[in-house]
Amino acid sequence: MSRNVVVTGMGAVTPIGSDVKAYWQGLAAGKCGIVKREYTAADKYAMTAATAPIDDVEERLKVLPRGDRFSQLAVVAADEAVKQAGLEVDEALAPRAACIIGTGIGGQSTFDKSYIGLLCNGRRPHPLSILKIIPNAPASHLSIRHGLRGPAFAISSACASGAHAIGVCADLIRNGSADVGLAGASEAILTYGALEAWTAMHILADETCRPFSKNRNGLVIGEGAGILVLEEENHARERGAEILARIAGFGMNADGKDMINPSAEGAAGAMNAALEGVKFSDPRSVYINAHGTGTLMNDPTETRAVRSVFGTGADDLIISSTKSMHGHLLGAAGGIESIAAILALRAGVAPPTVNYDEPDPACDLNYAPNEAIERTFDLAISNSFAFGGLNAVVAFTKA
Amino acid sequence: MAEIEPTLLEIIKEHAVGLAGDPTRETPIADLGIDSFSIVEIIYEVEEKLSVEVPFNANENPFGEMKTVGDLIDALNALIKK
Repeated sequence: MSRNVVVTGMGAVTPIGSDVKAYWQGLAAGKCGIVKREYTAADKYAMTAATAPIDDVEERLKVLPRGDRFSQLAVVAADEAVKQAGLEVDEALAPRAACIIGTGIGGQSTFDKSYIGLLCNGRRPHPLSILKIIPNAPASHLSIRHGLRGPAFAISSACASGAHAIGVCADLIRNGSADVGLAGASEAILTYGALEAWTAMHILADETCRPFSKNRNGLVIGEGAGILVLEEENHARERGAEILARIAGFGMNADGKDMINPSAEGAAGAMNAALEGVKFSDPRSVYINAHGTGTLMNDPTETRAVRSVFGTGADDLIISSTKSMHGHLLGAAGGIESIAAILALRAGVAPPTVNYDEPDPACDLNYAPNEAIERTFDLAISNSFAFGGLNAVVAFTKA
Repeated sequence: MAEIEPTLLEIIKEHAVGLAGDPTRETPIADLGIDSFSIVEIIYEVEEKLSVEVPFNANENPFGEMKTVGDLIDALNALIKK
């Protein structure tokens, strides 16, 4: 069985906009949500880091009062997606409704709070700590909230979690295991403890995220969630849902080489797998939302991978890193970046790579430096390449 | 038993998201709007506030047959005395 899968709803909570409309306005305008902020713990530890936090959703997060922040963000994003899709899951649809939600880490703030309470203040952890920390918490909360009783689980593949979740959910629908699904990812790890761990890895940018720019020096961690409603095409058409985009392809593989350093061969392999059988008229009509972390290694490696896949056509396409604006949402990156790719496809606008200061001979594609580019696109690709060498690429075309 | 009842009622009230006024012994549990999460939280807070240990197993659901807040208070008291 092979069926077509379409997108009928999108929900996003990001550092540059806490719903899809605001997110797109931010993307198109080149809004940068990266700020230097102090993070503290137990009134005795403090550190300052460039991060991309979300500050305007606290009231909306109360919709899930007993969830960790990463579950709360997922619920807010999913509610927006379900509302846009006009999806009503009745008793007949429930067993055919999937819920595949990724995360790179899980309930970090609950984890931190539990340890701080235990080790610094002698307080035992709250009894719901485990239910808040487990990486499947968002998938479970959304399953309960929206009555999704089909395949439901979390996917954790670090920075590729969101892309894997969307691709796997699409495959479940394509293969007949489900008719609809919520798919995407959530991440919220802006805590003192987590940021100290990331700092120890020597991979965070000092000031801001500068993907593909010669003076880039690392990634900036952001938080948020991006969730799609995926649907078998006939199911969507029969209920009169607006089709926002088509999932044209999904590719995933593993480098099988290194925990940190990326592989151009692996990345290209995943992109080629996603593009197998996908038709597009001209490389000029291709937009790639890059993994584009702004690290020394990722950006030239991704550039080589794109050249390997598109050959000389790589000079004609546009590839931008929206991480320059919303930071790296780790597991949730593929969620909000797939939404960025779909919005770019629909609007005919490639969001820019901001903070681009200086060309790098090793990064020689059109990255839409600092300003959005208007162009008609036939194909939008979202790249996600995780620590540990796990790659996932989703390709979207118009309905 | 009587002296801890106000504390128990206060803890239950904090979790009664579905109740408009204050709970009494006669309030039906169904009106409180609580779920399995709430029971675990209530037990935890009872332990914290009263400095007792409640021998409660979340999988046994010993509160399954209760109908009123009074039943819940009696069950908590029974557990605390164990």
